[in-house]
Amino acid sequence: MSDAGSGDRVIEGPTGPRVLRDAVRTQWRDVTASAVLASGHQVGETLVPVLIGLAVDRALAPGDGRALLLWLAVLALVYFMLSWSFRLGAMAGERAGARAAHRLRMALVERVLDPRGGAEDGRLPGALATIATEDARRVGAVNVALFAGIAALVGIAVAAVVLLRISLPLGLLVLLGTPALLAAGHLLSKPLERRSHAEQERAARASAVAVDLVGGLRVLKGIGAEPAAVARYRATSGASLAATLRAARAEAAQNGTVLALTGVFIAVVALIGGRLAAAGDIGLGELVTAVGLALLLLGPLQVLSWVTTELAQARASAARIAAVLAAPAAVPAGTAAPPHPVHGRLRLTGVTSGPLDGVDLDVAPGELLGVVAAPADAAALLRCLARQADPDSGTVELDGVALSALDPGEVRRAILVAPHDADLFEGTLLDNVTAAVPTDARTNARTDPGKALLAAAADDIAADAPVGEHGRALSGGQRQRAALARALAADSPVLVLHDPTTAVDAVTEARIADGLRALRDGRTTLVVTTSPALLAATDRVVLLEGGRLTDTAAHTDLVHRNDAYRTAVLA
Amino acid sequence: MSAAPPDTPVPGLLPTATGAQVRAVLGELVRPHRRLALAAFAVLGAATGIGLLTAPALGRIVDIVADHRSPDAITPVIVLLVVVAVAQGAATAAGLSLTARLGETVLARLRERFVERALHLPLDQVERAGTGDLAARVTGDVSLIAEAVRRALPELVRSCLAIVLTLTALALLDWRFLPAALCALPVQISTARWYVRRATPLYVRQRVETGVQQQRLLDSIGGAPTVRAFRLEDDHTARVGRASASVVDLTLRGVKLVLRFYNRLHVAEFVGLTAVLAAGFLLVRGGSVSIGTATAAALYFHNLFAPMNTVLVLLDDAQAAAAGLARLVGVAAGPEPDTTARPAPATADLTARAVEHAYLPGRPVLHAVDLDLRPGERVALVGASGAGKTTLAKIVAGVHPPTGGAVLLGGAPLADLGPGTVRRAVALVTQEVHVFAGPLADDLRLARPDAADDDLRAALDRVGALEWADALPGGLATVVGEGGHRLTGAQAQQLALARLVLAGPAVAVLDEATAEAGSAGARALERSAAAAVDGRTALIVAHRLPQAATADRVVVMDGGRVVESGTHDELRAAGGRYAALWAAWSGNRDQN
Repeated sequence: MSDAGSGDRVIEGPTGPRVLRDAVRTQWRDVTASAVLASGHQVGETLVPVLIGLAVDRALAPGDGRALLLWLAVLALVYFMLSWSFRLGAMAGERAGARAAHRLRMALVERVLDPRGGAEDGRLPGALATIATEDARRVGAVNVALFAGIAALVGIAVAAVVLLRISLPLGLLVLLGTPALLAAGHLLSKPLERRSHAEQERAARASAVAVDLVGGLRVLKGIGAEPAAVARYRATSGASLAATLRAARAEAAQNGTVLALTGVFIAVVALIGGRLAAAGDIGLGELVTAVGLALLLLGPLQVLSWVTTELAQARASAARIAAVLAAPAAVPAGTAAPPHPVHGRLRLTGVTSGPLDGVDLDVAPGELLGVVAAPADAAALLRCLARQADPDSGTVELDGVALSALDPGEVRRAILVAPHDADLFEGTLLDNVTAAVPTDARTNARTDPGKALLAAAADDIAADAPVGEHGRALSGGQRQRAALARALAADSPVLVLHDPTTAVDAVTEARIADGLRALRDGRTTLVVTTSPALLAATDRVVLLEGGRLTDTAAHTDLVHRNDAYRTAVLA
Repeated sequence: MSAAPPDTPVPGLLPTATGAQVRAVLGELVRPHRRLALAAFAVLGAATGIGLLTAPALGRIVDIVADHRSPDAITPVIVLLVVVAVAQGAATAAGLSLTARLGETVLARLRERFVERALHLPLDQVERAGTGDLAARVTGDVSLIAEAVRRALPELVRSCLAIVLTLTALALLDWRFLPAALCALPVQISTARWYVRRATPLYVRQRVETGVQQQRLLDSIGGAPTVRAFRLEDDHTARVGRASASVVDLTLRGVKLVLRFYNRLHVAEFVGLTAVLAAGFLLVRGGSVSIGTATAAALYFHNLFAPMNTVLVLLDDAQAAAAGLARLVGVAAGPEPDTTARPAPATADLTARAVEHAYLPGRPVLHAVDLDLRPGERVALVGASGAGKTTLAKIVAGVHPPTGGAVLLGGAPLADLGPGTVRRAVALVTQEVHVFAGPLADDLRLARPDAADDDLRAALDRVGALEWADALPGGLATVVGEGGHRLTGAQAQQLALARLVLAGPAVAVLDEATAEAGSAGARALERSAAAAVDGRTALIVAHRLPQAATADRVVVMDGGRVVESGTHDELRAAGGRYAALWAAWSGNRDQN
């Protein structure tokens, strides 16, 4: 329905910066604790050279043994404090990072699996998996960068205060010089961020190609195409390497420049401090402390430069995560109340969608209807029934309610469109079959997995043996029957099956036709197929040709009177 | 949800390399870049050495002040400091760039080798381990090692150089500072040992759980349409959630261990610093060193903290990277793909002799199967689901070695011909359709990399796929597969058959190659399949009996045995299983 269909497909998704902010905001307790404790640690680290200076001044210079013991005791105390605040603070920060990454991972999975769909369009599963692992980890690591960065700033501040107490010009020099150094580092990292983005894209491409090739391993092996595939991967990997090296060169230049600037800065501190000491304005111990602090500043400053790089990478990762989370939905959500209970009357009125051209169709509650259609017509019809897409014009109604007005999840609660290429999931056959049974219907005799397995002629497969990745431990026929059993066990008020027996032999197919009819008795069922065995078991068959409904009657009648039908079904 | 499928453990993971294997493979990969490695090491060493001039220069300023010399005496020292800073920056940039080139190049070669060996793994091994494990290794482990190469490797080299050179400088100030500084060493060594003992098993578990997480993610994301159709969103989110939570838990346990490790390192620092200060006190009181020298010694030692901790902490990254590396090398150290040119089999006849097979010991699925395919003969394999057709097809195609009996091609056992020769002679097209992401032409060229566009078009034309291929938005250049133009199941099958035509083997094994479409599509695919195998020895697993009816010979299987063999007409007349199947099939069709 075009008026409802033009509705809002925008998914409320965060922007990249918002993803970053939320990663911190949701973990604020741990982040705050880690920032406070890590700052305590940094203060301790800053006090160490101060204490060295004091020890030189008060103990070494005068040769005072008792003073030495006193200052070594103070040193021990400071070490105890800095060590424990580091341990507790870093733990809190890392916990925040890991938990934020976990949250993002779950948000991404929820978005990809959202009933409205749309997130996986244009993205390889491997690339999505990389976003859910690597990018989520990088964004979570912002919390680690944050506490380390805050602690570094605090360390610099403490050093500045100590320096200001020693001498105003020295303190000012550090206070003004450090931000200037930081700004220079940030300026240098800007082009790096752009390169890093390109580099990560390339790296993701190389890993996506690898996952794609590994996914098609069986096909490659079947035709001996392993060498060609290897050659292709080498080319991708080579391009990725070239991009990485460009980024690495830029990063090395940035590191070198920051190091040189820092060294020059320390030289300036030593120049001012040295002249002040020579002029007698500050003491010898104070000069040692000042120089020690200026050297120590290297640490926090390098941490800050690391933090800048981390943030650059996290921003690129957050943008990729946000793009998935805010991917437009394939169909808009609906707000109408779903029919309850579902009687299962389906009515298509003038449905036009892709190749479908004004299809009118009425399916009575409890009817077992066969649908014979060309593959493209069938696919379009199934998309509309599953509400993976809304018709361009016309309506699909369930018990008088337009599907486009319903939430896609609600539609699928009432109408199960079992995909022809359905995936089986990790676990046993029984796990797969029972997973689809709605919780409130577990006691229903119809949803008894044993009955569903029997009706799908899948009772010969070991129900408690793992089916393997994508069900590959089973043969093609077994997989198809297992998927059919799962669809039957779901006991959906309306069930739509698409070519459910193409990999099943003729004898078994006839058995399935009987089982299907018995198990779905009284429930609306559509079977989109050209299998005569299944069609013979239906109440009625409709024939779609060129996107239009051209004939409807019982299978035997159609076989007798309709040439097109005979051609489509019998050959 | 109570019906949430229980988490099954990941069965039979792929091999993990031993330390010796890792070293051997790394050595092999680094050897071509020896000069680059030397240059990187030398330049970084120079950078570190230059940086060490900073502390004595500062000590010199202290001495100038202590001796009450003119403030102008400081100026040349400051000039030296500036020169040191600029030179150190430049050398560090060059050194890091060289190290990155070395590390990244070796890593690229390693991942390429990994993919090469992974693609040549025996299929049954991959099926047991799951492709998720391979995918996890090629994404997670590669990225882990890349991180180590990018961050840890240059840091490690710089820090090791800094430690050695600083200790040397300390000894040059006065040799008695050295034993004082080394007081910290026993604590550091015992801490490192304590840590590695606990960290190694933890990281192994962490990697395994990360592999499980990756597999769950691929399972749920790849199967998203099915998940939505069955409203399994919550189930699958919970599954991924459990895997992810387990990874988080193990990560945090690792962090806790690292932090206890730091605790102990702080003790080492304190011990060493106390010793150096005490030594300075004694030496200054004894008059053998100046206060400036004692200050320089204390500063040197204090400056040792950072590289010392870096090295010990990089043990951590090194542990993680080593675990990842062992997983990559585990596959990459596999046998080199057998590329030895062996003579192609003289004739395209395929024979199975008393072939037995059991996926699990004690549960045989094939019993003493004999099968003869004459050159150019087209044989249809018929039987109920689970009769062993697919297994036989895979064994005959040389994808699985049988647990008993032998398969001979042109009279020679497949095992003797080597995988390369077998694959050139025998192709297998299964119901498994995978369209490779990228341009359609690239997908086809996997089968024959040197094929011209005309060859590709001819192959598509032969299987009846040229019409739709030309109708694609970009023709043969259209990007297909995941993330590109979605092909229908039937189109993907035709593509598989076109690849078969391009590969041009003498023997073709088709397993349910027409199963992907409805019967209308199936008939078209049967025509495609017939055209694809024309002129080849062919074994076709047939689900639709018309496909059997047009074959030269029909072989009927039941319960893992061959029960009938003959032409369509012979078997129909014989009144056995095939005749019954045919009656069931044609009965449905004879309702008019």
